[in-house]
Amino acid sequence: MKTIVLGMVVIAGFLLGACASDSIFPPDATKGVDPDFDFTRWRMLPNQAEGKKVQLGGRIIDAATKGETVSIVVAQLPIVEHPAYGPKDTGKSRGEFAVVYRGRIDPSLLQRGNRLIVVGMTQSPNIFSVDDLPKSLPTVEAICVHVWKTGGREIGEFPFNAGGGYQPLVEETLCTRNS
Amino acid sequence: MTCSSERRGVVGYTAVAFLTLGLSLPAQAADGSKSLAQADPTTAEEQGPPARELPPGGTSIEDLLLQKGTITMDEWIQIRAEQEYKAADQNRRLDSIEEWKAKTELLPMLRDKVNFGLNALQVQYGHVDAQVPEGKSQDSFSIRRSEIIFWGKLSEMIPRWHTLLEFQSTGLTNSTPDCSNSPGGNCANKPGGPPVSATFFREAYIDVRPVQSWAPTLNMIRLGIFRMPFGIFSETSGGLRDVISSPYLNAVGGGGGPGQNRNGTGGTIEFIQERDYFVDVRGRIANRLEYVAGITNNNNYQANSLVNNASGIGGANQPKALYTRVRWFASDVSFISFTTIQGESNNTGTLINGRGKGDFDRYGVDFRYTSKVFPGLMLQGEYWQGHDGANATTVGTPAQGSCADTAVCGGSGAPGMMRRTWYVLGKYLITRGPFENFEPTLMYEQFDPNTKMSNDLYTRTIVGLTYYFENFPPKIQSKIQFNYEFRHHSGLGTGPGTPAYDSATDPFAQNAFFVQFQVRFM
Repeated sequence: MKTIVLGMVVIAGFLLGACASDSIFPPDATKGVDPDFDFTRWRMLPNQAEGKKVQLGGRIIDAATKGETVSIVVAQLPIVEHPAYGPKDTGKSRGEFAVVYRGRIDPSLLQRGNRLIVVGMTQSPNIFSVDDLPKSLPTVEAICVHVWKTGGREIGEFPFNAGGGYQPLVEETLCTRNS
Repeated sequence: MTCSSERRGVVGYTAVAFLTLGLSLPAQAADGSKSLAQADPTTAEEQGPPARELPPGGTSIEDLLLQKGTITMDEWIQIRAEQEYKAADQNRRLDSIEEWKAKTELLPMLRDKVNFGLNALQVQYGHVDAQVPEGKSQDSFSIRRSEIIFWGKLSEMIPRWHTLLEFQSTGLTNSTPDCSNSPGGNCANKPGGPPVSATFFREAYIDVRPVQSWAPTLNMIRLGIFRMPFGIFSETSGGLRDVISSPYLNAVGGGGGPGQNRNGTGGTIEFIQERDYFVDVRGRIANRLEYVAGITNNNNYQANSLVNNASGIGGANQPKALYTRVRWFASDVSFISFTTIQGESNNTGTLINGRGKGDFDRYGVDFRYTSKVFPGLMLQGEYWQGHDGANATTVGTPAQGSCADTAVCGGSGAPGMMRRTWYVLGKYLITRGPFENFEPTLMYEQFDPNTKMSNDLYTRTIVGLTYYFENFPPKIQSKIQFNYEFRHHSGLGTGPGTPAYDSATDPFAQNAFFVQFQVRFM
């Protein structure tokens, strides 16, 4: 009897999992995102892809808040579905870009190493400070951002792998008022 | 200008190289000294440039200086040789660095294959009000934990291996022997079990992720010894706990207090073991429901020592219980879970306290609320109940089977009992102002060792204050904790055969105070 109950729980879980959606943003925010956006080309020719709606993921390198604007410098990472949905460090970042978010973000979410996905519009490059050095980076004006507070680790390492104990992964979606 | 013999060698080499390649060098310096080109008439004739002709591609300073007659040909060669030597030296250094880089990049430490850290180093001062025998003290100064952790990721299929060593205690754990060949047929006359297991060895497990695309629905298979997924406290590393003492649900009783009795209300009771041997499957469904399902030996983490490596016979270390947990997340950090453990327990060859022989079960519900409305506020609680089999034992004490005659079978002779425990804990981390990084904590818990008996309840209220020097869990957490514990123990039950109870000597009936300084870094 116990085995049957256990089996039913596992099967029900798989069925629920099959129906699961990994959407982390409101549908309106992701509507019109260019699925074939070429990040490498945009990095090289940022002025040729202005005003495109894109979804990009990466690892936070640096962040600064000025009034109601948050600037985040991100090392681009591929967004994967497995072992957990989100940006995964495969050791092959294709470069850096910047995110400009009009609003406030809790500083703990902006810690270096945290993972991030942004949906927004591409802009012409702007100058950002990376490790106290000015750098011209292609920019995304954020509509929504989703941050995983991983502190440099992989999303797939949570919740069972973090430092010898159970640690739920803090994550948060933030959208601008205009979105 | 000075020049080492090695450099002079380079000068000569440079000149020869220039001549061999047919490069035209200025034939004579401004002061009329002979150049190397002039020293070889054939070559000079072949090249045949006039003495004052510009050197090929000669736009460098030394070329200009030579052309203007400011330096001699020897000096020009020396300068060029110096430059060549520097370039060669730079190349050699770069090659060395490249070689070193290629080697170091392969080091396991730099590829996440091997990591190590300090899971918890805790220095503790404690004071317990209970009366103690001569030679012992109410005050203690100790190392509560000294845990070194090693881990790594070998591949996507083996995303983690993990070991943890506890250095604070090298004491040995006694096994619980059977009662055969007891002197006079009285098990109580039989000596305790021999020491079998040191406590260095605390955790060792391997994670296997068989198919990447199945994760996170089927995230991993975990096998080995680790903190069991039995509620919140049991699974929380000692370096991340919010109060100093372990909760009663993990262990209560003993420690100088009353021993085991027929009511099942005395002695050490490990109601939920923190660590054990297991194989389980873990995953997450719809980003909201986590599950764990597995099998465990239900005999505590020291039980590896019961296995005879020569014969393979494993004593009481066979898998004896199935467990499942489902945890539903209301938000990313707030959840409610339901856990059950079903199986049996053994009282011979065991390394776990307070369990008898027979059917074994546990049912638990736990919750955690991490407020986003009041950042810093966290509430959590657990409720557990379950049945322990007959003739419970204390580790090392002889026992055999489920038997009421302790003279024959040892153990407590208790007929088996239902136990119940619960706690609630709240804390608030102050994140701004003069009390930034202080965290007041309050916890209340109860443990009922026998639900069918009154006057046996353990209760405890812990008032705590924590100050964080560094607080970046789960990796880094340095803190000092002050805990005052209001402890109460009603007694050992009621009815005939209930032993006399003296609360003055029971450490679980007397208040306690602890201070603990901790470092955790990995």
